Amino acid sequence: MKLQSAGQIALVVAACAYLLSVYLMSSPVWIGFTINALIVAIIALSWNITGGFGGMSSFGHAALYGTGAYASAILQVQFGVNAWIAFGFGIIAGAAMGGFIGALAFRYGLKGSYFALVTLAFAEVLRICASSFAITGGGSGLQLRLDPGVGTLQFPDRTVFYTILLVVVALVMLLTLLIKKSRFGAYLVAIRENEDAARALGIDTYKIKVQAMVISGAFGGLAGALYLQLFLFIDSTVVYGSAVSIEALIGPIIGGAGTVWGPLIGTLGLHLLSEGAKHLLPNAPGLNFVLYAIVLICAVRLLPRGLMGLAALFGTFNSRKDDDHA
Amino acid sequence: MNFRIDRRDLLKASGALAVTLATPSILRAQGATVKVGVLEPLTGNLAYNGTQSAAGAKFAADKINAAGGIKSMNGAQIELVVVDAQSRPEVAASSVDTLAQAGVVAFTGATASALGLASSQAAAKYDLAQVFSIGTAENIVQRGLPNVFRFTPGVNKCTSVALENLKLLNEGAGNVVKTAAIVHEDGPFGSNMAKIMAAELPKQGIEVVETISHPTPHRDFSNIALRVKASKADILIPSNYINEYTLMARSLRQQRVELKAIYSILGGAASNIKFVRENQEVAQYVMDCNHWYDPNKEDSKALAAAASAAGLDLTYDVMVSYATVQVIADSLERSGSDDRKKMLEALAASTFDQSIMPYGPTKFVNGDNVNSRPVNTQIRGEKIELVFPKEFASAEPVFPIPAK
Repeated sequence: MKLQSAGQIALVVAACAYLLSVYLMSSPVWIGFTINALIVAIIALSWNITGGFGGMSSFGHAALYGTGAYASAILQVQFGVNAWIAFGFGIIAGAAMGGFIGALAFRYGLKGSYFALVTLAFAEVLRICASSFAITGGGSGLQLRLDPGVGTLQFPDRTVFYTILLVVVALVMLLTLLIKKSRFGAYLVAIRENEDAARALGIDTYKIKVQAMVISGAFGGLAGALYLQLFLFIDSTVVYGSAVSIEALIGPIIGGAGTVWGPLIGTLGLHLLSEGAKHLLPNAPGLNFVLYAIVLICAVRLLPRGLMGLAALFGTFNSRKDDDHA
Repeated sequence: MNFRIDRRDLLKASGALAVTLATPSILRAQGATVKVGVLEPLTGNLAYNGTQSAAGAKFAADKINAAGGIKSMNGAQIELVVVDAQSRPEVAASSVDTLAQAGVVAFTGATASALGLASSQAAAKYDLAQVFSIGTAENIVQRGLPNVFRFTPGVNKCTSVALENLKLLNEGAGNVVKTAAIVHEDGPFGSNMAKIMAAELPKQGIEVVETISHPTPHRDFSNIALRVKASKADILIPSNYINEYTLMARSLRQQRVELKAIYSILGGAASNIKFVRENQEVAQYVMDCNHWYDPNKEDSKALAAAASAAGLDLTYDVMVSYATVQVIADSLERSGSDDRKKMLEALAASTFDQSIMPYGPTKFVNGDNVNSRPVNTQIRGEKIELVFPKEFASAEPVFPIPAK
């Protein structure tokens, strides 16, 4: 995560300053808003492992997010399992779903848009299944009983939940950094750049890609399980809906796919833009989305390497501009 | 330069001065405002219903304010704080923070059960009352939250009333309906309904021969219409939102599906005048069991006139949202305070019987208004007529659909 320009450092400092300033604002609106953004940032970081580092763009990360949320909810609601244990199982279930989708898709050599479509299909199939079976609560979804306490992983004081989320995001980013610096991370990048060449060099591309899906699934499941503990209610559309998959990929693309800070910065930036647009146009519901979309289109058109790529252009320390993009 | 002040000028100047000096006290005499939240999906899939509901709340606030505001609070005017839930539960929950920060004493909303479940849970942390305009899922009132007040009936009551009425209609027609097809959206609302219907219809001697679910949004109903046709069902029971309902009805027409009745429960379009206006032929004789106002009350007539003047369709969303603001205003009147805890107590003790809905005095038991009830409507010509219960009926029901 060596930042190689003053611009990138400024961007990271601005993001950290915002996250810390939330404590000072003592505004429930901003805490709630930032909590939502951080949960989305975790699913964005999940997408970043496969889509950013490995070049396996998924359109169905909701499959991982929803599986984590549903696994945790089913264990708590239907089997009375302790919230902490169920939370752990949520992460494992997300990882297992990631591994399953990856193993199946890569076994048949699916890549590029075909892989994207398969992931989209998985998310959609899971959404329909979740709205059909009794164990998932059918169309009614599943609801955790409101029972604040550490044992139930429900925190009435949202500053506490916010702090926990900050720690989780930091840990996920640390893991992302370790992956990036590891041999495994280098293999992933090699696969992204040229899979045939990577295979010719002796990399077991199938195994690496499935492993990446497992890690991505664990992060996705973690985000889903956290969502459940925050809102205590899920249904099939909420966690398996296409909105989740879109949010998962938009943050890294805007922030800078294949970077450690990009998904967080992209997600925070987009959420702040959306919220800002809402405040700018308070009496015109929907117009904020128009403004949001215009900025998004401009960003995609003008920032091919995202905000981190743009920031890298300002005050470069060395000539290796790609350092944080590797 | 010569200044001359005559008596008339002096009087004018004195009058103007008196008005100027008195203005602050006049404003004080009118009382401050009291803020009431309106949490509705103004964008997203449910934007139509949410926008209608927000309009209903505004009509009610305008009416109450024009009548002198909250009298026990020195004529405090109701100021609505309208927040967009974007048809997303997590946004609905976050929006409660905005409402709490704005200082609302209670809020109404939120059109869909999933939104209301999330918002009411978030509101519980603030001791902030949510008076549900629409929230049919039963788990809304099964969580023991003291801030939940569902004014309108839930899915269980709507279904049981609808089934009772269907039984009466069918018996009256010589039990012509023997088989049914259920088409439902796959969210909480449609799925719950389908489950109840599948269990209850056979008890009336009606066999469910086809059950078809679809997502929301869904655009192509051709296959669904063909499946209904192939099932040879006598009656179709749909549970879906307005756009899907409209498209489904058109597809049924295109595929020439012959049915003895279309009987909705909380039908998305069956009690919607826009659907009637734009789909005259398709809509005829469609029956619905839904939220509806008592058209004979003076306030109802005034609302109809206000909606018409505003160029707005008078849908049940407008009606129930109007009524929930009436309930909140009554509680404010009795509590005489904008304190949230006092508001919770006032709502819990509410016996309000002046709303535009055809309900008895409000009585919240575990947050559910036990004296609420749905009514049956039927599309006849260009109108939506109320056909059950008899005391509010504006027309006799037609069942089955007359042969062409």
